[in-house]
Amino acid sequence: MEENLELSNVKERIDHIEDVLSSVAAGELDIRVKSTVEDDLTGIEEAINILIDDLTYELKQSINMQNDLQEKLKKIQEQQKTIVQQQEDLMELSSPVSKVWDNILILPVIGTLDSQRTQIMMENLLQKIVDTGCTMAILDITGVPTVDTQVANHLLKTVTSARLLGADCIISGISPAIAQTIVHLGIDLSIIRTKATLQDAMIYAMKQNKKSGIVVANRIQELEEGEE
Amino acid sequence: MDHFQEKKIPIIKIGAYLIVSIQVDMHDKLALQLQSQILNEIEKTGAKGVLIDISVLEMVDSFIGRMLSGMASMASIMDAAVVIVGMQPAVAITLVELGLEMPGVDTALNMERGMELLERRMASINDE
Repeated sequence: MEENLELSNVKERIDHIEDVLSSVAAGELDIRVKSTVEDDLTGIEEAINILIDDLTYELKQSINMQNDLQEKLKKIQEQQKTIVQQQEDLMELSSPVSKVWDNILILPVIGTLDSQRTQIMMENLLQKIVDTGCTMAILDITGVPTVDTQVANHLLKTVTSARLLGADCIISGISPAIAQTIVHLGIDLSIIRTKATLQDAMIYAMKQNKKSGIVVANRIQELEEGEE
Repeated sequence: MDHFQEKKIPIIKIGAYLIVSIQVDMHDKLALQLQSQILNEIEKTGAKGVLIDISVLEMVDSFIGRMLSGMASMASIMDAAVVIVGMQPAVAITLVELGLEMPGVDTALNMERGMELLERRMASINDE
């Protein structure tokens, strides 16, 4: 290449490159370096143009990806909302305490137990015991597939708290699998009264009622009042 | 000392039973005082049962819990049964979480049920 690069010309072109680069840095990606003559500097100018092209391409892709991610995030957030809503519904549905007979409450438990659910269950049961004045509570766990240490512990706590209030708590419907796990885990359920089925528990509770005589007396009184 | 005596918790004797209704927030000193007060009263009156109503207590700490279960065993060796009556659900949960399961202490939902429990106990003792 001849030594025909005039100093003033070179300075002008470098200024031009500088301008273009600063525009690109500011975010204008349409600008390219214009070159009219072919010489040593043209290579650099073209390289810069290619760089800008690549940059434009990468930027576009990252924007696309960002949009995609944002959409996915929105979807996930919506799903999360649904899950939370369903969990709340489940919590409300999962621990109904009903009075089935004089002085007898039943809490049927269905599905897997976790700490939060057992906590709510326990609070519901205790509150109901105080509200209704029932002294027998049956905790039926026929519908519970498995029990772990924590859940067994919670069951124990529920029974103990009920006892502190002055109510008797019976656990019924312990499945073979649960019995095995409980014994393997080394949890002592012997202090708790357990019955094979809900029926057995009901019979026991009604016998207990008869023994205490409270309910029978109340019943008779009610019947007499009704006749009058 | 006078200050605490002003706040004495009344112990009412009805028949063979003593009725204690705790209607103020318990602090440790008051609890200890109540404990000896009740034991003295058992000795003086020869009561066979003590009903302690804690339905107004919204908070029971480990000290009060221990005091109550201790008192139950003390009274039982003095031949008097202690029944704790009207415990709030929140209190029960707290006590169990604290590991104070109060074995050997009888509990009842309310004063009426507690009285019936004592009556039954007395009847079974008389049968023996």
